[in-house]
Amino acid sequence: MKTILHPAAWMFTLSAFAAGLTWLIVGPPDRSVPCVDAELKEGQVCLATVREWDPAEILWVDARPRAEWEKSGKEGSLLFNDDQKEDWNALDQEFMAVQAVEPRENVVIYCNSEACGSSTVVAEHLRQGFGQMLGFKVWVLHGGWKALAAEGLVE
Amino acid sequence: MKTLLPFLLLVMSGLPSMGAMKFKRERIPVTVAPDAKEVMVEFPFTVDGDGAKVLSYDAPCTCLSARIEPLNPDRSARLLWKPGESGKVVGKFELGNFRGTVEKAIVLKLENQKAVQLVVEVTIPELIKISPVTQRWEQGSAGEEKSFKIEIHKDHPITIKNVRGTNPNFPYELIEHEAGRSYEIRCKALDTKTPGFGMIRIETDSLYTRFKRLQIFQVVQKKKP
Repeated sequence: MKTILHPAAWMFTLSAFAAGLTWLIVGPPDRSVPCVDAELKEGQVCLATVREWDPAEILWVDARPRAEWEKSGKEGSLLFNDDQKEDWNALDQEFMAVQAVEPRENVVIYCNSEACGSSTVVAEHLRQGFGQMLGFKVWVLHGGWKALAAEGLVE
Repeated sequence: MKTLLPFLLLVMSGLPSMGAMKFKRERIPVTVAPDAKEVMVEFPFTVDGDGAKVLSYDAPCTCLSARIEPLNPDRSARLLWKPGESGKVVGKFELGNFRGTVEKAIVLKLENQKAVQLVVEVTIPELIKISPVTQRWEQGSAGEEKSFKIEIHKDHPITIKNVRGTNPNFPYELIEHEAGRSYEIRCKALDTKTPGFGMIRIETDSLYTRFKRLQIFQVVQKKKP
């Protein structure tokens, strides 16, 4: 037993030391969501690109369930998800009350993660129903809420 | 080295073995009835290699739930699969507000295997097509007459029972081209000096909830500098 524990203890100590040293030299681990423009699907956008836009010309739309939006939605965001409990007619009205008369240039939708799919459904609905006629663009944020959280833009 | 050998052997014995869960299809298209409230989709799989271990399975949408069948005898989810075994991932998709074609995925994370995305592609027939959904006048324009075309699916006639506008600045008129088949709403903007918007609510005699109440929008949009 001793023959196993001794080297194991050594390896553990060395690993911990190396990890600590790396943290000190390089800094904490990078938790940002990688995003490459060239690899995006149509209608998707990287957070880095969004951050270059004028914030006054962005309308954030949260496509997560209402409880999550209330708890940790981006400040100033609107709720528009594909939850069964929501009434899309009412969500359309709320969206238009904000975006109809003086639309912001970009509507950016985020969901929980890449696989969520709700952002894409909502984006298509807003694009076809309103964006094309009123002259604003609708985007799906690559990485969704996790990308925003990694940059400290939501809590 | 002699001292390290037992430790290395111990570590290596803990290494997971290679296995694979193979799905016949990872994308299933399905068309549902206009009144369907939910749809079940099955993704059958077989296991080869040294077996497979499911680390997690999730449908990152409240509208889709997933389970792996068969379950364990105690009805819990079965996560360890031996070579040669087969089963299926069953997805239940609640359709709620959706119209048209919608894609949703179930994500399966497996040990020593790339995560698998099982995609359900559901098409819900659009019994009523309104084009466009929004009409726009620019601030200061003449407020000329514009039109919304309403076309009904040929196999499911639907009658428009009532239309009701919310803003008197946008007078409207419902025109029936063919009862139950084709309609048009014409409207104009009386005052275009002040930006604003209105809505017309459309009630139908459709048996299906998602086509009973529809709405269209009229907007006088602020002129961009």
